[in-house]
Amino acid sequence: MEAFFSLASGLSVAIQPMNLLFALIGVLLGTAVGVLPGIGPALTVALLLPITFKLDPAGSIIMFAGIYYGGMYGGSTTAILINTPGESASMATALEGNLMAKAGRGGPALATAAIGSFVAGTIATLGLTFLAPYLVDIAVSFGPEDYFALMCVAFVTVSATFGDSPVRGLTSLFIGLMLGLVGIDILSGQSRLSFGVPELYDNIEVTTLAVGLFAVGEALYVASRRHIVEEKLEPVRGSLWMTKEDWKRSWKPWLRGTLYGFPIGALPAGGAEIPTFLSYSTEKRLTKYPDQFGKGAIEGVAGPEAANNASAAGTLVPLLTLGLPTSATAAMMLAGFQQYGLNPGPLLFAERPDLVWGLIASLFIANAMLLVLNLPLVGLWVRLLAIPQPWLYAGILVFATIGTIAANPSPVELIMLAVFGVLGFLMRRFDFPIAPVVVGLILGPVAESQLRRALSISLGDPMVLLQSPISATLLAIALIALILPFVMKGLGRFKAVED
Amino acid sequence: MSQLRKSLWRGALAAAAVAGFVTSAAAQMELKIMAPAAPGGGWDQTARSMQQALTQSGIAKSVQVTNVPGAGGSIGIAQLVNNSKGDGNQLMVMGYVMVGALLTNKSPITLEQTTPIARLTAEYEAIVVPADSPIKDAKQLAAALKADPAKVTWAGGSAGGVDHIAAALFAKAAGADATKINYIPFSGGGEALAAILGGKVTAGISGYGEFESQIKAGKLRLIGLTTPADKATADKPSIKAQGVDLEIANWRAVVAPPGLSADQTKALTDAMDKMAKSKEWQEILKTKGWEDSYVSGDAFAKILADEQARTKEVLTSVGLVKS
Amino acid sequence: MTTNPQRRIDVAGLAIALLLLVLAGVVWWDMTKLQILSPYDLGPKVMPIIVSIGLAVLGLGNAISAFRGDLPERDSLDWKPIILILGGLAILIALISLGWGFMIGTAILFATTSAAFGRRAFVVDLLIGAGLAVFIYLLLGKLLTLSLPAGPLENLF
Repeated sequence: MEAFFSLASGLSVAIQPMNLLFALIGVLLGTAVGVLPGIGPALTVALLLPITFKLDPAGSIIMFAGIYYGGMYGGSTTAILINTPGESASMATALEGNLMAKAGRGGPALATAAIGSFVAGTIATLGLTFLAPYLVDIAVSFGPEDYFALMCVAFVTVSATFGDSPVRGLTSLFIGLMLGLVGIDILSGQSRLSFGVPELYDNIEVTTLAVGLFAVGEALYVASRRHIVEEKLEPVRGSLWMTKEDWKRSWKPWLRGTLYGFPIGALPAGGAEIPTFLSYSTEKRLTKYPDQFGKGAIEGVAGPEAANNASAAGTLVPLLTLGLPTSATAAMMLAGFQQYGLNPGPLLFAERPDLVWGLIASLFIANAMLLVLNLPLVGLWVRLLAIPQPWLYAGILVFATIGTIAANPSPVELIMLAVFGVLGFLMRRFDFPIAPVVVGLILGPVAESQLRRALSISLGDPMVLLQSPISATLLAIALIALILPFVMKGLGRFKAVED
Repeated sequence: MSQLRKSLWRGALAAAAVAGFVTSAAAQMELKIMAPAAPGGGWDQTARSMQQALTQSGIAKSVQVTNVPGAGGSIGIAQLVNNSKGDGNQLMVMGYVMVGALLTNKSPITLEQTTPIARLTAEYEAIVVPADSPIKDAKQLAAALKADPAKVTWAGGSAGGVDHIAAALFAKAAGADATKINYIPFSGGGEALAAILGGKVTAGISGYGEFESQIKAGKLRLIGLTTPADKATADKPSIKAQGVDLEIANWRAVVAPPGLSADQTKALTDAMDKMAKSKEWQEILKTKGWEDSYVSGDAFAKILADEQARTKEVLTSVGLVKS
Repeated sequence: MTTNPQRRIDVAGLAIALLLLVLAGVVWWDMTKLQILSPYDLGPKVMPIIVSIGLAVLGLGNAISAFRGDLPERDSLDWKPIILILGGLAILIALISLGWGFMIGTAILFATTSAAFGRRAFVVDLLIGAGLAVFIYLLLGKLLTLSLPAGPLENLF
């Protein structure tokens, strides 16, 4: 295996003490910025570019990789502990993770997230090492119609987040779709639902919506009910670590999450959010403890967190093999390569194998570092929940607002945060599920623009959706996933056999 | 201050005493550069590179970069015009894309309200086709467009941006109906590139840098660049030299707030003139692969006015701006 | 807005239904203002039409639920903490808009939120909030050179 030797030589680059130090700085920085909503790895790399300019290329690129992995990781910590997803890909983690933390199981939730991220990151990086050249051909052959079909699959699975009333779940989803309309329509260049406010032209930021609905909305809700229910948080109830039971319930979701995250992350327009939601709904459907979903089920943390990290490695497939930046962070890493006059792509593997393989090897190292750094910190993190409630929520609000203005220092962005906070409060009060709003905002615009692109290319012929084998297959999956629950209900006794 | 400069700056900086004196006089300048975009993009990188060059060469004492993202720069320019009137230390990075964005966004603020200072860099647009495409050169692409503009699908950046305008100008130059072009905007550079590599579209159009490594790897065929005919080289053919009259560059520039005195404008222009010549700036241009296209003063003001007129005409002709 | 155990018409539920219908109307109205139609794809109007119809149908669905009294029970509401938190947010937004920077507002937001959760040490909390803001400013503004809204306080650093 040629890749083996290359990886071994890469490892010799990555374990040079200076490069190890850069990887360490990277993962620390990445974790730090990952916890702040609004500030993600992309922004950090962008701001560090001028500073790292004078460094050795291998060192700074290794550091960027550390920031990337660290950022994907840090977002989940705040999602679990204080229900404030540091980035949109951590939203699915917040759903069950925060419930676990509130039930005193924050320790196992953080642990399964850490180990799951490590497992997924390692498997996905192995995938990057050995499968990248093959995977990338498939990734590039994905056309707009195939993406639309993938969105259809994702839409069908959203219902997993609906709660008990389809009407209220759909209402939430459509509010999200409506918010997704706000801003400039990418295909025609016109603004929709912006009412002449230029700040709205750039579409609603997913993190602003998620933080408003989740963090601010919850602060308002809890505060308004303090006179009735005193919310008592016990940081640790039962074991701080994962029990044998927890392990048993986590390992399959980790692997399934990786299976979603890596290939979808490798798609040029795949992203990290869709695999996390696919993973969430899969785990919800497959779990042996369906009653625990909505109360803090560990599968609902393990799966999405693995998917999240695997997709980060997936993103590097098109970046390294083709020079295609498919996420904001990847685009910044591309800029990082380019400031040294290096262009990622097929040629870079031939011209600077030390650099490319050094980077890949340091991904393994960064991953291991994150695990070693974060597992002992779990005990410290959960202590955060022991902060007196007034300070905890005051801190959450400061956190949410600063993250928002750091990403975009505009009062309008803060007004949106406050409005979404009120929306989140009202939705909690009237028992509307919150996650579908964010899902609608993420999926709606992608589904619309990809369908329109597909029809533009086919000159308006809708048959293009069925002529592409990928699209046809995905649409079939969506259809099956849509009707299967009804069939299952009808043939209730088959379920017993399956168990 | 400007009197001193006039007499001193023309000369070379050879004499150490003179250089020291001048540097300390100019070092009073505490510049603020606004990038009307989020950190990381082209305008932000330009602003931060200017910061680097201006401080390292001692042209300015300090340079502070601020980001005002949103709506293709519409929010940044509004802040510059409304809040920084008469501030002789404030600059804003902008580019050709802003000319179109202000038009399509129907911005109440226009570039006429700013004080043009200098154009810094330029990048030419490249038109590519998938490696297995039957189209070999600009003439064949033009012929295909003329035959049926709907069947020639273009992948590029956002609607109304420089890629879109260049595609429309190409169609026009080819004698096809520019309102009928089938231009498909993609959100990020990567997505458009993937669509071209996957053979989903007929042609792709974007800055040359986006395609460079794919062209060299033989995965894309370069039809040509939007350079002037005399700038063509063997591996970078000019579209104009192939008989399709299209010349366009995606430039970046700096402008200052309105209401500046002649002295203030001159001080800023001088600082930019010096920066453009500094070895620090030249070094940055080289590593970033940016083409130097420095023009300052009235010459830049004229370019800005011309580009606005041309862009308005093109955007109206493709139906993105209603006259 | 009090608890409503019997199956009676839920006024709040009807208000939600009405709001959804209004939103559907706004989306539709906004759609009619679009002028530029793409020549080859579905155009920018299709998605707003789907969303508008969806919202209208769901508005009716919610109205039916309200008439049947299907909405879950709700506890009584304490408005004071909500006003405190939103007031803190409003002050922060106002101060940033006026160019006073973010630190003062952040400190006030910290203190009002803390008060909303029952603490009675406003001045102490104000100081804690200010300390937090300074720390964040040094971290993000100075170390990462992010441009945060600056005012008189920020310029001291």
